[in-house]
Amino acid sequence: MRRLALNAAALAVLVMTIFPVYWMFLTAFKPTRDIQARTPSFWPSAPTLEHFVTAVNAPGFWTYWRNSLLVTVVAVLLALVVALLAAFAVTRMRWRGRGAFVVMVFAAQMAPWEALLVPVFIIARDTELLDSLAMLTGVYFMITLPFTIVTLRGFLAAIPLELEEAAQVDGCSRLVAFRRVVFPLLAPGLMATSLFGFITAWNEFAFVNVLIIKEQDRRTLPVWLSSFRDVFGTDWGATMAAASLFALPALLLFLFLQRRVGVGMTAGAVKG
Amino acid sequence: MKNRILALAAVFALGACGGGGGQQEPTGPARLTVWIMDGSVTQDLLKTFETRYEAEHPDVDLALQIQPWDGIGERVTAALASTDAPDVIEVGNTQVAQYAASGGVTDLTARIADLQGEDWLPGLAQPGNIDGKQYGIPWYAANRVVVYNKDLFAEADIDEPPKTRDEWLNITKKLNKGGNQGIYLTGQTWYALAGFVWDEGGDLAIQEGGAWKGVLDTPQALAGMEFYQRLQALGKGPKDADEANPPQHEVFAQGKVAQIIAAPGIAARVLEVEPGFKDKLGFFPIPGKTPDKPGAVFTGGSDLIVPVASRHQEQAYEVVKALTGERFQTELAKEMAFVPNRTSLAGVLAGDEATAAMAAGAAQGRATPNTPNWAAVEATSVIKQYMTAVLTGGDPRAEARKVSESITTTLNSGS
Amino acid sequence: MRNRSLWPYLLIAPTVAGGAFLLLYPMLKAALISLQHFRMGELIRGGAEFVGLGNYAELLAGAEFWQVVLRTLAWTAVNVVLIVVLSTGVALMLVRLRRGMRLALMSALALAWATPVIAATTVFQWLFQSELGVVNWALASLGFESFRGYTWFADGAATFAVLVILVVWQSVPFGALTLYAGLTTIPGELYESARIDGGTGWQVFWRVTLPMLRQLFALIVALEVIWVAKCFPQIWVLSQGGPDGATTTLPVYAFKIARVLHRYDLGSAVALLTVVLLAVALVANLRRMVRS
Repeated sequence: MRRLALNAAALAVLVMTIFPVYWMFLTAFKPTRDIQARTPSFWPSAPTLEHFVTAVNAPGFWTYWRNSLLVTVVAVLLALVVALLAAFAVTRMRWRGRGAFVVMVFAAQMAPWEALLVPVFIIARDTELLDSLAMLTGVYFMITLPFTIVTLRGFLAAIPLELEEAAQVDGCSRLVAFRRVVFPLLAPGLMATSLFGFITAWNEFAFVNVLIIKEQDRRTLPVWLSSFRDVFGTDWGATMAAASLFALPALLLFLFLQRRVGVGMTAGAVKG
Repeated sequence: MKNRILALAAVFALGACGGGGGQQEPTGPARLTVWIMDGSVTQDLLKTFETRYEAEHPDVDLALQIQPWDGIGERVTAALASTDAPDVIEVGNTQVAQYAASGGVTDLTARIADLQGEDWLPGLAQPGNIDGKQYGIPWYAANRVVVYNKDLFAEADIDEPPKTRDEWLNITKKLNKGGNQGIYLTGQTWYALAGFVWDEGGDLAIQEGGAWKGVLDTPQALAGMEFYQRLQALGKGPKDADEANPPQHEVFAQGKVAQIIAAPGIAARVLEVEPGFKDKLGFFPIPGKTPDKPGAVFTGGSDLIVPVASRHQEQAYEVVKALTGERFQTELAKEMAFVPNRTSLAGVLAGDEATAAMAAGAAQGRATPNTPNWAAVEATSVIKQYMTAVLTGGDPRAEARKVSESITTTLNSGS
Repeated sequence: MRNRSLWPYLLIAPTVAGGAFLLLYPMLKAALISLQHFRMGELIRGGAEFVGLGNYAELLAGAEFWQVVLRTLAWTAVNVVLIVVLSTGVALMLVRLRRGMRLALMSALALAWATPVIAATTVFQWLFQSELGVVNWALASLGFESFRGYTWFADGAATFAVLVILVVWQSVPFGALTLYAGLTTIPGELYESARIDGGTGWQVFWRVTLPMLRQLFALIVALEVIWVAKCFPQIWVLSQGGPDGATTTLPVYAFKIARVLHRYDLGSAVALLTVVLLAVALVANLRRMVRS
């Protein structure tokens, strides 16, 4: 009886969680005239790929796709490396200013990025970095860095120091000890944090909108995602098809990482 | 900041001596970037223009870039503030004033005669003109008409489009039967409301001794809103959404809606969704209070601007001239069902039911209040929210007073 | 460890350098802008003038700012409480489910989490559409006739509610998955001994689970407070802060001022005050960090 109630509740949560996503995919497969039907249908009676064709054939799709991947992956990897160094310093060493540094990193998560758009634009303009993917990558790196440090710090703290010390006793240098012993244990944490960074950078629209001006082929996928709208309204079918395709990389990454992700997040946070 | 001023000075100098962009790219053709809004011009027509223009101007390499609507305001602002801006930008006629006032747009007053600006459509020319200087060059206009489903009209035995508002209400009532909607008018189609308000002798905002004042709370404006409410009730248009959300052509294409208010260009969209509509689409101008003239309409459309930060001032102007010239205007009007930028070119619209209906209405065309801050009133959707409030049972007087105060505040906040 | 060497400073150098150029510098610039007369003209032409604390004075003197602050507090509180409670519930549920169902639910949560904000917001706008929306259709079919054609976005409270549902829907997956992973680290013996002592489900939760995961809860609450208070695109797309300002929170207010009215000066002031308010709200958390 209890199990039945539990499963029923779980099913309810499942349906509520998945319904909007299902609706997105469903709409992407519906012919346009069914999308605005007065009685909603929950299954495509005549599924069509026309919206996916429209979405993929939109100008710049493949270029934007490549740019997005490049910018996101570089920003996330850079953030991981830089965060790892900082997290190591914070958890494995004692030094003056450590507490202040940790607080600054945590506080950096409160950065009002929406309001920094204009200052960042001015800085990019004055340093001739407009229309540059490097500047964009830098901004995404900075948006994800604080969270990455906070999570990795917690995760590192959870790995007993004795493991490293034992390895060092065995004659490894500190670096080798870290690479051989700590790094494998850290891998799930790295993946968990990278997913978060990936979703954040992959979705970002406001900065690419003002930092890439004249060189249109340096724009990224969110620009494409919002391009199925004109003066007569939004082409919902194409937008939903685009959104489905847009969500795919993050989903695949998540399913790939799924088992490790949760564990990574917590191990990071619990001992934080 | 210093670099910036120097760069600007250099650009000014270039523009002043009409030197063009030769300095940047000493060899090869100058690359001119032109921003065109998504949906303004078909790809084919753009291609035709590009090929022809480049053949006639071997020193120019045209890059025509289609701009998505989302985030366009920020993008244009950023472009104007950059040091190497696109050379020509299409901006909506309700947006152009704010850019013109910012100091980032080249003053083209001296070119008016060269562009044959004496008979420009006022609804496009006025917003591009600040303090007597012409910054925005009229490109094209479109105004709304009533698009109707001929089958549903025939079923209801209506063989003639209405000539007055009262007739319009009557036939719409007749059409609003069974599963059919007399008119699909969303609660936030504020351009339509503006027309009704103007018909009554009211306005959206007026200028009184230097200061702006929102006047949707006058008896005339309230009468316009009352008519809107009566019309809106003759269908199932959502009261808390605008016509783009969901796109009304997709609703219309279901075949259960007798009329919508839209620019004639929407016909192509309806046919995309439902090719069976080919011979079923009818058009008539929005009826006025009396049969002698159609109702006032909002003139929508676009202007072209040349940013001060464009590095090819003279060549950019040549592109503007070609885009606003008779040849391209004729092609544009025919292909896109637009009103050309000059009244003397209106003849090209004759012979087509849709554009004829539009041209009849265009004679009563009006623009939104001519102030740089009007764009902010639109962006914050206060008029739309006012309409929704009244349609869902709010007190019209109180709501109108509230929105008028809000408009007054926005229009008078300095720039 | 002993290390008095330069090493730790070298290790944090990239973070500090990146932060200095891409965060601190823009922040200082924003602070400078908030002390200037800086609007569209100044952005394009340059040459902004100093006005001292004029923008802050204008802001703090107006009634609207304080209303927005209060609304942001309410918005944050409602969302964070719902997110934490629901995340905890879902996490506890996940622990108890059998493998198949658990995987299905986790995948569903992942799907919701990975859905782009723009797409999710659009879908919600649609679900709650008055004439063609599925929500009204479902409610009316279930017998709640008053919801036929109900205009969610005409009413301040209803719009607020739709936005809360959207943000909670988007945020629960992160909280639930993290808490679930945390729950799996609690040794089973602790529960057993609590049960043997005669504790009910509630008591076990309060006595065992909560204390074990206190740090984790603190972190989730802190992150959610930051994220919810700063949440912007959802609100802007759905309601532009309306109707009648009912959903104008601080970020929406800052956006309206800065990028609709092009008053970047006043907008910067709002953003900086937001950071100060957030810092004050999270001061306990920051203290804990210094101590650790």
